[in-house]
Amino acid sequence: MQHMSTGERVLRGILIALALIFFLFPIFWIVLMSFQTNAQILRIPPSLFFSPTLENYTSLITGQLKTASGVLTLNFMQNLFNSFILSTASVALSLVLAVPAAYAFARYKFRFSEDIAFTLLSFKFAPPLLVLLPLTIYFQKIGLANTYFGLIWVYQLITLPLILWIVRGYFEDISPDIEHAYRIAGHSWAKTFFKISIPLARPGIAAAALLSFIFAWNNFVFALVLASADKQPVTVGALAFVTASGIQYGQIAAAAVISITPTLALALFAQRYLVEGLSLGAVKG
Amino acid sequence: MYDQERDLIAALAGHRIGRRDFMRRASQLGLGAAAMSGLMGQMASSALAADSSFDWKAHKGTTLKLLLNKHPYADAMIADLDAFKELTGMDVTYDVFPEDVYFDKVTAALSSSSSEYDALMTGAYQTWTYGPAGWLVDLNDYIQDSAKTAGTWDWDDVLPNLRASTSWSGVPGEALGGKGAKQWALPWAFELNSISYNKRIFDQQKLEVPKNLPDLMETAAKITKDVSGVYGIGVRGSRSWATIHPGFLSGYVNYGAKDFTVDGGSLKAAMNSPEAKTFTADWVKMIQESGPKNWSTYTWYQVGNDLGAGASGMIFDADILGYFQNNGDTKEKGNIGFHAFAANPDAKEPTPNVWIWSLAMSNFSTKKDAAWYFMQWATSKEHDLFGAVKKDMVNPVRQSVWDNDDFKTRIAQNAGYLEQFKASEPGAKIYFTPQPLFFDVTTAWAAMLQRLVAKELPVDEGLDQLVASIDDQMSQAGLQ
Amino acid sequence: MSALEHASISAKTASPSRRRRRQKWLPYLLSLPALLVTVWIVIPFFTAIYYSLLRYRLSLPQLKGFVWFDNYLHFLSDGRFWYTVQVSLLYTVITVVVELVLGLGIAILLQRSTRFNNLAAMLLLLPLMVAPALAALMWKLMTNPNFGILSYLVGLIGLTNFRWASDPSTALFTVILVDVWVYTPFIMVLLLAGLRSLPKQPFEAAALDGVPKTFVFFRITLPMLMPYILTASLFRMLESIQQFDIIYAMTQGGPGNTLTVFQVESYLQFFQFTNVGRSAALLMVLWAITFFLSNVFVKNWLRLRERAQGISEE
Repeated sequence: MQHMSTGERVLRGILIALALIFFLFPIFWIVLMSFQTNAQILRIPPSLFFSPTLENYTSLITGQLKTASGVLTLNFMQNLFNSFILSTASVALSLVLAVPAAYAFARYKFRFSEDIAFTLLSFKFAPPLLVLLPLTIYFQKIGLANTYFGLIWVYQLITLPLILWIVRGYFEDISPDIEHAYRIAGHSWAKTFFKISIPLARPGIAAAALLSFIFAWNNFVFALVLASADKQPVTVGALAFVTASGIQYGQIAAAAVISITPTLALALFAQRYLVEGLSLGAVKG
Repeated sequence: MYDQERDLIAALAGHRIGRRDFMRRASQLGLGAAAMSGLMGQMASSALAADSSFDWKAHKGTTLKLLLNKHPYADAMIADLDAFKELTGMDVTYDVFPEDVYFDKVTAALSSSSSEYDALMTGAYQTWTYGPAGWLVDLNDYIQDSAKTAGTWDWDDVLPNLRASTSWSGVPGEALGGKGAKQWALPWAFELNSISYNKRIFDQQKLEVPKNLPDLMETAAKITKDVSGVYGIGVRGSRSWATIHPGFLSGYVNYGAKDFTVDGGSLKAAMNSPEAKTFTADWVKMIQESGPKNWSTYTWYQVGNDLGAGASGMIFDADILGYFQNNGDTKEKGNIGFHAFAANPDAKEPTPNVWIWSLAMSNFSTKKDAAWYFMQWATSKEHDLFGAVKKDMVNPVRQSVWDNDDFKTRIAQNAGYLEQFKASEPGAKIYFTPQPLFFDVTTAWAAMLQRLVAKELPVDEGLDQLVASIDDQMSQAGLQ
Repeated sequence: MSALEHASISAKTASPSRRRRRQKWLPYLLSLPALLVTVWIVIPFFTAIYYSLLRYRLSLPQLKGFVWFDNYLHFLSDGRFWYTVQVSLLYTVITVVVELVLGLGIAILLQRSTRFNNLAAMLLLLPLMVAPALAALMWKLMTNPNFGILSYLVGLIGLTNFRWASDPSTALFTVILVDVWVYTPFIMVLLLAGLRSLPKQPFEAAALDGVPKTFVFFRITLPMLMPYILTASLFRMLESIQQFDIIYAMTQGGPGNTLTVFQVESYLQFFQFTNVGRSAALLMVLWAITFFLSNVFVKNWLRLRERAQGISEE
C-alpha cells in the first residue's frame, strides 16, 4: 500500500470526498435546520443563510415549548434518559450473555452447537409485529408490561443475536495458539478467557456493541406497545413534534441531533478499540 | 391558591359579584394574565360545583389514568385539569403519545384488554372498530342516568350532528345516530372541511374565492400559472384513510355520490356511480393540474405547511388546519381567509365531512363511574368555553360556546371563519357509511386515487376496479 | 487446530478425567444462558401461529373462528400478495447488494489506520445513528418540491419535475436511496474492522512478489473477508426484508400499491384494519422466507469460514 501512484491517490481522495458528501450532507442539513425556526426552514427556495436560533434546543432541554397558544410541556429529556437506560442495559446484558456464547461456538464443536447458534440467530427472524399482540397480553398477565426490566428483556431480541454472530466471527479468526501458550504457563481457563481471548477480540466486541447499541437506540415499536408514556425512548418522543397544529421541523432536527450525541460519544470512545485491528494482525497466524 | 383569590373566585362563581368587579379586584391582587387563564377555568368549574343537587365529590380519592394524543385539545384539558381535581377531589394522570403512533398505542392497549387506561381520546371512525370489538362502554347508560350526570351538563347543547355522528348501532350500514345507536364517545372538539385561502395572493391577483369545483379548478390553475413558485390547491394524497375523509369526501357527497349503497344487510361499493365518476375525474384533474407536486405523500401537515409558508394558494381541508396556520408562527400568519364550499354547482349548501376528536371510556376500566365524572367535566360547557377562549380548543362542539361573545370576538380575528362555520355547520356530519372495514376501504380508495393521479389507468376503469376489489373484501367479511 | 491438540495442551493443567468432564459441559455453560434468556419468545411466536389459523378481525368479533389454512390458501390466488413477495425481495436484493458494494468500497478506501481515515470512518457512522423513522421524516422534507434542499439541488441540474417518493416510477429508487444512506455505514464498519484484522503476511508476500493488485483483491482480500461479508449481509438482509420505518414514513406503501412490502402490508392489516388473522399469516410467510434465506447464508458462512481459515493459517 506504500506504492501508490499519484493518479491513484487523487482518485482515492475524490472517492472519499464523494462518500463523505453523500453521507454527511443530510446530516449537515439536519444540523442547520436544528438552528432554524420553522418559518425559516419552510422557505422557498431553501437557503443556507439564516440567523441561527437556539430556541429548538432550549425548548427541548427545558421541556417548555412556547407556542402561539401558550407554553406546552415536553418530556424529551425523560425520553432521552429512557433511551439511555434501555440501550445501555440491553447491550450490557447482551455482552455478558453473548460473548461467552460466541466464544463457545467459535472454539468448541459440541453437540447441537450449530443448532443452538442458529436458534439464537433465528430470534432475529420473527418480525416484531408478529409477536407484539401476544407479547402485550402475556406481559400484562405476568406484570412485566410497563417496566424497564421487561423492555430490556425484549430488547435482547435486537441486541443479542447481533453481538453473538459478529463476535463469533472474530473469535474464530483469532488463532487459539496464544491461548494455549497462556494455558500452558499454568493459568486457569477463566483467566485465559478474560486476559487473552477477550482483549484479542476487542475490535469485534467493540464494533458489535456499538452497532447493537445503535439498533437498540433506534428501535421504537417495542416501547411504544409495551410501556406507558414515561418509559418511551427518544424515537417516540421526537414524533411528538408532529401535531395537529403543524409539524415542528426545527425541533425534530434538534431532537435528532441531541439523540445522536450519546451514540456518537460511545462511538468515539469505542474507536480506540475499533482501530486496534491493525496491531492485532501482527499477533495472529 | 391563596385564600383571598379563592374567595374572590367563589364570589364570582356564586354571582355575588359581577365580572367587571371581579376583573378589577383580580388586578388589585396582582394576578397576571397567565394566572388568570388558570383561574378562569377554576372559576368555571366552581360554577359547576355550585349545582348543589349533584355530588361532584362522590369519587373523591380515586385516581384515573387517561390515554391522550399530543394535540392542542389535550393541551387545553391539561391546562385546566387542576380545576377538575379541585372540583372532585380526584387525581388524574395521563399518558400522551404522538399523533403519528397514537392509534397504534390505543389498538395495542385495548386489544390486549389492558385495564391501565380509564378514558381515552378517539376519532369517530375508530369507534367503528373499538365499539363492536367490545372495547368501549355505551355512554347512553350514563347520559340518561340523572344520579350519575349533573343536570347542568346539558347534552342537548352539543351540536346534534356531532352527537349523531359519534353513535352507531354497530350494524354495518345502519345510519349513525339511528335507532338503537350506542353512544360510543362524547364529541370533544371537531373540524369540518372548507376552503382556507391566502388572502394576500387573492388580493394581489384580484381573485374571487371559488364557489364550486369547476370554479375552484379554474382559480387553482390560474394561481399555478400566474404566481411563481405557488401552486393552486392543497389537498391530501397519502395512502391512507386520511386522504379520503377531508376535502375529497366533502366534495364527493356534494355531487350526490355515496361510498356504499345499503340494501338490507348487504353493502355494495358505489365509487363507480355516474356522480362519483364525474366528481372523481374532476378531482384527479385538479390535482394533476394545480395540486402539490408531491401530492401522494401529502398528509395534513404538509397541506397546512404549504398554506402557512405561502407555497399554496388555497386548501380544501379542515378549517382548523387553516386556523392553526393563521395563528401560528408562520410566514402567512394573519393572511389566511376562510370560506364555506359546496363543490357541486347545483348543490344548495355545503356538505362538509367532519373529524371529531372525542372522549371514550374503556370497557376494561375498573373505575367507570369515576371516569364518567371526568368525561362529564371535560365535555362540560365550562371547560369547552375555557378551551375555546383561552386555548386552541377549536372548533368547540357546544352551541352555547358558539353563542358566547368572548369566543366570537376571538374567532372573528380570522377573516371569514365565523361565516364559513355558520354556512357549513348545518350540513356538517360524517358522510361515510359506518361499517367494520372502514380502514380497508378508505386505504384502497386512496391507493386508487394515487394511481389515477399518476395516470396509471383511466378514471372510469380505475373506479370499476376499486368497486370490484372492495365488493370482494366485503363479501369475504360476510357483509354482502 | 484439532481437538486432539487442544486436549494435549489442556491436559497439562488439569487431571485428565476432570478436564474431559469440563470439556463437555463448558461450552454448554457458556452458550445456554444466552439461549435461556431469549428462548421464551417461542411462546408468543406459537400464539401468533395460532392467530394465523383464525378468521380473526377485531372489528368483527362475531366472525372469529378457526379456519385452518384459509388465510394462507387465500394468498395463493391473491395477486397483491405475490406482488408483496416480489417487491420485498427486490427491495432486499437491491439494498443489500448496493450497500455491500459501497460499504466494501469505502472500507477499502479507509483501510489504512490514519488519523484522517479513522475520523472519516467515525463520521460516516452518523447516518446510522439517526433513527430511521426520524431520518425518513427529514428526507421527506429534503425531497419536498417547495422547501426541500435536494429537490432544489436536482432542480439546478435541470430535473425540475423529479417527484421522488410520490411518483410510482421513482418511489422505489427514493426509499432505496434512504436505506442506502442509513445502512451502508453498518456494512462499512463491519468490513473495515474485518479488513484491519486480516493477517498481514499474505499481503506482504504478494507485494514482494509483485502480484497485481486486482489479483490480490480477488484472490486474497475478498476470500479472506468473505465470512465478514456474509455476516454483514446476513444482518442487512434480515433487516431489509423486514423494512418498515423508512418505507412507511415516506410512502405508507404507495403510490398506489407500489411499495406494499411485507411489514407495511401486515402493519396495515394489524393496526389499521385490525385483521389479526391475515396479518399473522402474512408475517408467518415472511418468517418462513427469512428462515430459508438465513439458512442459505449460514451454511455458506460455515463453509467459507473453514476455507478462509485455511488461507490465513498457511
